[in-house]
Amino acid sequence: MGKYVAQRIVYWIPALILLALAVYAMAFYGAGDPIKLMFLREEGDVTYDAQRLDAIRREKGLDRPFLVQFGEYTWHLLQGDLGMSVISGRSVNDMVGATAPVSFQIGIATVFLVAIFGIPLGIIAGLHHNEWLDNLILGSALFISGVPSYVVGPMLMVFLVLGLGVMNVPYGWDGLFSTKAILPLFVMVFGSIAIIIRQTRSGMLEVLSEDYVRTARAKGVPEFMVIIRHMLRPVLTPVLTVLGQMLIGIVNGAIIVEKVFGIPGLGRLTIDFTYGVDYPVIVAITLIGAFLVMALNLLVDITYPLLDPRAAQAMTGVEE
Amino acid sequence: MSELLEVQDLQTRFKVRKGYVYAVNGVSFRLEEGETLAVVGESGCGKSVTMLSLVRLLPPAGRIESGQVLLRGDDLLALDQRQLRDVRGGQVGMIFQDPMTSLNPFINIGTQMAEPLLYHRGMSKKDALARSAELLEMVGIPDGVARLREYPHQFSGGMRQRVMIAMAMSCEPSVLIADEPTTALDVTIQAQIVELVKELRDRSGVAVIWITHDLSVVAGIADRVIVMYAGYIVEEAPVDAIFEDPRHPYTVGLLGALPSLGGETGTRLTTIGGAPPDLAELPTFCPFHTRCPFVIDRCRSENPMLEPVSGASDRGHRAACWVDIRGVTEQTGGTVATEQ
Amino acid sequence: MTTQELSGPATFSTVEASRSNLWKDALARLAANRLAVVGIIPIILLFFIAIFGPYLTPYDFLAQDFTARLAPPSSVHWLGTDELGRDVFSRILYGARTAVSVGVISTVISLVVGIIMGSLAGYLGGRVDMMVVWLTDVTRSMPALLLAIVINLTLKVPLEAWLEQMYLQTKNTFFRQTMWVDLVLVFGALALIQWPGYARLIRGQILSIRSRNYVLAARALGMPTNRILTRYVIPNAMGPLIVAVSAGLGGAMVLESAFSFLGVGVQLPIPSWGKMISDGLRLWQTHSYLLVGPAAMMAIITVSFAWLGDGLNDALNPRQWKE
Repeated sequence: MGKYVAQRIVYWIPALILLALAVYAMAFYGAGDPIKLMFLREEGDVTYDAQRLDAIRREKGLDRPFLVQFGEYTWHLLQGDLGMSVISGRSVNDMVGATAPVSFQIGIATVFLVAIFGIPLGIIAGLHHNEWLDNLILGSALFISGVPSYVVGPMLMVFLVLGLGVMNVPYGWDGLFSTKAILPLFVMVFGSIAIIIRQTRSGMLEVLSEDYVRTARAKGVPEFMVIIRHMLRPVLTPVLTVLGQMLIGIVNGAIIVEKVFGIPGLGRLTIDFTYGVDYPVIVAITLIGAFLVMALNLLVDITYPLLDPRAAQAMTGVEE
Repeated sequence: MSELLEVQDLQTRFKVRKGYVYAVNGVSFRLEEGETLAVVGESGCGKSVTMLSLVRLLPPAGRIESGQVLLRGDDLLALDQRQLRDVRGGQVGMIFQDPMTSLNPFINIGTQMAEPLLYHRGMSKKDALARSAELLEMVGIPDGVARLREYPHQFSGGMRQRVMIAMAMSCEPSVLIADEPTTALDVTIQAQIVELVKELRDRSGVAVIWITHDLSVVAGIADRVIVMYAGYIVEEAPVDAIFEDPRHPYTVGLLGALPSLGGETGTRLTTIGGAPPDLAELPTFCPFHTRCPFVIDRCRSENPMLEPVSGASDRGHRAACWVDIRGVTEQTGGTVATEQ
Repeated sequence: MTTQELSGPATFSTVEASRSNLWKDALARLAANRLAVVGIIPIILLFFIAIFGPYLTPYDFLAQDFTARLAPPSSVHWLGTDELGRDVFSRILYGARTAVSVGVISTVISLVVGIIMGSLAGYLGGRVDMMVVWLTDVTRSMPALLLAIVINLTLKVPLEAWLEQMYLQTKNTFFRQTMWVDLVLVFGALALIQWPGYARLIRGQILSIRSRNYVLAARALGMPTNRILTRYVIPNAMGPLIVAVSAGLGGAMVLESAFSFLGVGVQLPIPSWGKMISDGLRLWQTHSYLLVGPAAMMAIITVSFAWLGDGLNDALNPRQWKE
């Protein structure tokens, strides 16, 4: 088991390094001269003295080769230092620290809501395979899975605020448990729930035809316990594998939703600085996003054999 | 012996994309207390579907259209879900074909074995596990307590089938339905499983319905034999009569396909040419006529009923055939069917 | 020994003989799926509008009617006009061009890259396979919108500067149009996001087909590799590939609009629905029709793709062919 975990970690660490390198390289060669940008910010002046610029560049170590600077950036990164914003001059740590909690709350609440609604809906659909209930659930899931959040969010706002008048303009953020959070969370759940419903449903269909479910019934186990004890784990274990995909959807969704509803989260931070070319911020957020997804993938890789005894045997080579 | 189980006119069909598949078409038979009944036929003849119908364990597409299944007088087809649960695993134990897939790979053996005891005997979890360990040792798996914590993948195929048997027998059922329990196993293991079931049967007096397509197993274990073809019972007889005096051409074909240790060496096993009819509609002819060497005109227009055969040594010997094949087999010198 | 052997010998040719029927069956299954059929109609319409849009629109997408700025929907302007007095309906129809062209071109690019990488991995195996799988895992760990933002943010300025330089050197007006930069960046981002899916699909198909009994049999009988390819591998991969391309096409359109919505999309002279939604969002409380028109269009198209994709999946899923 330990060897397997080590293997998975070794698999993902170079991935993260490659990604950091690629993003940093794009910023280094592409984003424009940070010193010029700094001058633009501080003095509002585009005319500058080339010698003075060079002096500052030398002073800040920005004239050193790419790999040296990347190494330094990585070294700071490992110590938890995300660098300085070019435009605002503030530490990226502070900026991320101020916005990340909001995004994380939204993300975690979304996963939670998707799980408590999506899994039961998928189970019900699977149990009623090809009946109207299944068609209704699957049809709705199909319907909502396609519509992007930048369509659902605005449409709901128009419908609820202008059409029905049941809601004030949901703009801004008053915490997770305020009324302003309802619509953004709804849009987020809307965007991610279909994956879980479909995965759970198809898992149910597969498991329903398994011999061991027939065995459980042949033993006289009550139907409810057949579902809970015999079907839930085989159904939910593969659901784990779509978590990574779901997290990507949630990150994408958060960027959109934070823009639509004016929520001061990481996504909003990204968008706000899009026009300002504040690349240290973008690089930091990108790495955080990718790190989260990879960490989750690693976690899934590691927990999977714990949940599926057969996989444990196949992956870790436990002898009979 | 008194009557334990009586099945009357059981009909089961499956809904498929285009219409239905008629899997079981009016099957009736009886099982006495303590008796062992073998049900024989090739794949797809409806023998497994018949047995799954008895306890209503059919897959969703299957439906029992008519019939009665009387277990000590109670119609299993009329029970509600609660009562049915008491029958399954309580009065009727079941073993299935593939031990590799019949146990839940996600749950340890102990939890799975304890279930019938929890639900039928009302035992505490602790008692149920203790009893399960005893049962494991009873079916020849030593060190039961430790093995209860293991998962199915840590057991070999033969071992898993032993677990299935222990589980099916744990509540001392009056009927044990064994659905091709040896088919998926190695030949040496097959014999062990057969011996184990015989031993448990003799000790507990359970009645056994043994489904198989392998006639060689039947001789050693069964009291009576039912031969099924295309969803019909085509012959029913005591085990000796099946081997010595078969009356349906299909039974004769099955026997012809059976190698005999005492037989001449060098003779080829005869096989039955052709394939069974597809069961998309109920036949208005003998379903076997396309493969039958004794076919007469009547076979093509009328489906024979299962009726007592003439000149049989046993009154319970019945067959569904228009032809009295005794005379004909002698003429053809025993070569019943050859490949078409 | 057992009665299983009683049935006649399995005919070896059944697999091949039934192949053309499988496609017919698949088509019949698709036609029988009501949602899929309903979904096809808007998609066909979309492509039709994309091609013939200029002949259908009542106004030019740039034509400004200063007398009717921000006019509500009326018989003159069916879906109203925007801040500059441009006809919203005409702009939506033109938006189909953006969606379709970006969707089709980026799908073709990522498909080509995916097929090459997937085939390399599937056929060469070993180290190459490991590298490709790892690379796809890395790429797929990257949230699409962040990736697009990074690419747009960092590469746009230097590429534009380079174009400018090229123009100054060559005086070729081709380099005058900065639109090319957007196109390259958007297509690049979309291809980067989508190629791993196709690569993994192709790789999986090759690996699974290689180990199938009838291919082993064909190989044992001495069938040459290219015949095995054309006879088994390609026909078998077609079904899942069609499903994936349909989903990918819809996905590319959704992403393109998302990029535009966030302001990192194609700044083509013709409108993009994502940009229209984002513009509409600024005025939604007073002029909601600016938002509703393009949003509804986007919703119809994406739901159609979802329904069609599901129908195709049901019709072409090889796991169901076995039944």
